[in-house]
Amino acid sequence: MSDRWIDACAADDIEEEDVLGFDHDNRAYCIYRTPDGYFASDGICTHEDERLEDGIVIDNVIECPLHQGRFDVRTGEALSAPVCVNLQTYPVRVENGRVYLGLPAAE
Amino acid sequence: MPDKFTATNAASSGIELERKTLKELCRRSDRPGLVYLAQWALALLASGCGVYLALGTAWVWPAMLIHGAILSVPAYAMSHETAHGTAFRTRWLNELVLWITSLIYFEEPLHRRYTHTNHHTYTWHVGKDSQMPFDTPMTFGAWLAEVSGFALLHFHLTTLLRLASGRYTQVMREVVAADEFPRLRRNALIFIAVYAGIALAITLGASFPWWFLVLPWLLGRPVMLLFTLIQHVEMAENAPSILDSTRSFQSSPIASFLYLNMENHVEHHLYPQVPFYALPELHRAIKDQLPATDPGFWRTNLEVLSVVLRRSLGRNTRARSIRQAAHMITDGGFQKLSLRSMK
Repeated sequence: MSDRWIDACAADDIEEEDVLGFDHDNRAYCIYRTPDGYFASDGICTHEDERLEDGIVIDNVIECPLHQGRFDVRTGEALSAPVCVNLQTYPVRVENGRVYLGLPAAE
Repeated sequence: MPDKFTATNAASSGIELERKTLKELCRRSDRPGLVYLAQWALALLASGCGVYLALGTAWVWPAMLIHGAILSVPAYAMSHETAHGTAFRTRWLNELVLWITSLIYFEEPLHRRYTHTNHHTYTWHVGKDSQMPFDTPMTFGAWLAEVSGFALLHFHLTTLLRLASGRYTQVMREVVAADEFPRLRRNALIFIAVYAGIALAITLGASFPWWFLVLPWLLGRPVMLLFTLIQHVEMAENAPSILDSTRSFQSSPIASFLYLNMENHVEHHLYPQVPFYALPELHRAIKDQLPATDPGFWRTNLEVLSVVLRRSLGRNTRARSIRQAAHMITDGGFQKLSLRSMK
């Protein structure tokens, strides 16, 4: 269960099959809109220090713009080299046209 | 690796492109790649017929050169494109073609992908870029070693043997994820088994692979290397901007076909996520921000040859029209700046 729901963006800020970057508490996140719905993950590729918000979304996959490493945005699973470490994902809630990102309680 | 290093791409080069346009250019499809494979197969069939008709005559050599160029250049280009994962929308298709074309190119596919990944992060950065195939500035001796194919063949052979025997180099350990080495080793063993099978077949008297595969492959590799040579030769080492480290050149439709539009090499390094079939459109979208494209394949290569010859003879190294980094131009004499990382 998430302890904090952060208002990330309007639902229609993101086109179908696209990604939007979102910074909160000095940490980068990405919100994805795919044919299966809205998803969220950390915003930096686990391979090298590259922002995934500049990548492209293909079905339920985010492709890093630098080396084309791919993650399943629903699970964070690293799908192909050069990415080997999974991406941290977060729950998402869409209410009244707004997308909320679920984060654990601040330490 | 330094924490603060900025990867060499559009951002490090000050190039801007509207996200909507980039997204359009990145749209993936299987169709262009499948059409390309069909056209490539037809071209190979036609050039193979040429070799068959020329067998037993002196014409077999030019026929094998043409067949070898049609075999080697697209195999390199498609192996490169699939290493990026941009050739096809369907992932398994991309990986299958990566395997087959890397088998022709003679490099284990994951090694190819990881070293190329590193090449994009550290494009032409001395001591960091794992795909610098020759010392810089280039001399005539290095040009001969490169264009003859001997340097690359030596690199590919030693790389395969090292991967197969688990004797990994420092460069391999730096660029490949540690968990992946068992897969690289398995793949290298499969590659060696395939090559050994071909060698055995020829030894036992099979002439088909000799005349239609091995000899054309050896003859075609120099053509392939003339394409790859001009990607970065005479350009600046250690430059954050791709515009300074990389060259695009004009191309005929035949050369564009063989090379999968990779004559737009600056554009490719700026936005490596753009598939080969969208590179001409990418060029049109950002051309106002780019330096003038260098002349065609032959002229660019002739000017490079002229420069490296004059450098070895201690003469002026200013090229007539191709782009050169300022320090490449001297009135005689030069200082070696980098040693090749592909060895």
